[in-house]
Amino acid sequence: MMRFSDADGRKIVSTSSAETVGKVSGFVVDPVTRSVIAVQVRRADDGDTLRWPQVVAFGSDAVTVEAASAITEADDEVTALLGKDHRLVGKRVLSTAGDELGTLTDVEFDGASGSVTRLLLADNDEIAGVRLRGVGSYAVVVTAE
Amino acid sequence: MRTSGVAKRPVVTLDGEAVAQLKDVVFAAGGGAVGGFTLAGRGLFSGPLKESLPWSSVLALGSDAVMIAGEDSLAPAQDLLDASASSGGSGGNVLGSQVLTDSGTDLGTVRDVIIEVGGAAEGSCAVIGYEITTSGALEHKGMGHKGATLLIPLPDTVAASGEHLIVPASAVDFVGNDLAGFGASVEAFRAQLGGRA
Repeated sequence: MMRFSDADGRKIVSTSSAETVGKVSGFVVDPVTRSVIAVQVRRADDGDTLRWPQVVAFGSDAVTVEAASAITEADDEVTALLGKDHRLVGKRVLSTAGDELGTLTDVEFDGASGSVTRLLLADNDEIAGVRLRGVGSYAVVVTAE
Repeated sequence: MRTSGVAKRPVVTLDGEAVAQLKDVVFAAGGGAVGGFTLAGRGLFSGPLKESLPWSSVLALGSDAVMIAGEDSLAPAQDLLDASASSGGSGGNVLGSQVLTDSGTDLGTVRDVIIEVGGAAEGSCAVIGYEITTSGALEHKGMGHKGATLLIPLPDTVAASGEHLIVPASAVDFVGNDLAGFGASVEAFRAQLGGRA
């Protein structure tokens, strides 16, 4: 399992050229599938988005891709999610019962599948990833227990 | 579940977008039940919205937000107000209205309402009390100087016109100032009304 905070800034390396082709700068999460669908990239030559299927491996020291061309401009699906102010970390967490549970501090995900496994809150609280319902500009919504 | 501070509570979709905030409560058919809410836009300078929120579209009324499925859960405000008016409701003017006892004493103006949401099976929601800014009428009873905040329990049916809200004079004996003991006050008050009838 990996956390957004650990993965931020991790280098992205091309396995064909062995060169660093960018760095991880953020994550795009689709609340419907409760998984990371793309990695946002900085310091890349052509684009700022790495779609999850293009990732060869999300390792503890580097993210590997087959070639620099895996990094592209954001497509419509990614843009739609970004346009909704997609950032999870730092947002208030609301349950579907209308109660505020705290502030989201980190997200844990499965490096192999991209699935969000846990939402971590301030005060060491945590919420199972399957409870994620929505991510909006006002709040992250999770299913009430 | 009991809740106060309905005014300004954000209305949030399951997608996490805040689409409005509650402005006022609209009574349903002639009783204390909540028919829905009028809405205001979010932010400092936003005014009332043309949309309202029928109670049937509320997924949950929590302590921090009102949850709805999506923006299409909102309905034209006029529909809700018409339904309320035709059944003797208040037309969405509860907050700020003057509270009169049936013996003619002005108790103060409504700052907020205290709502009780029934069990999931019932799915109803009722206003069980008013939080008022007192007029000073109760000062001789040691219940708050002018401008203080007090909680007034309500019978299970209320008379509301948008101009005045009428409460039985005996409600004065059950006025409180903290939400913790308020449920007991409401029950005692209603028991007393019931016993007399």
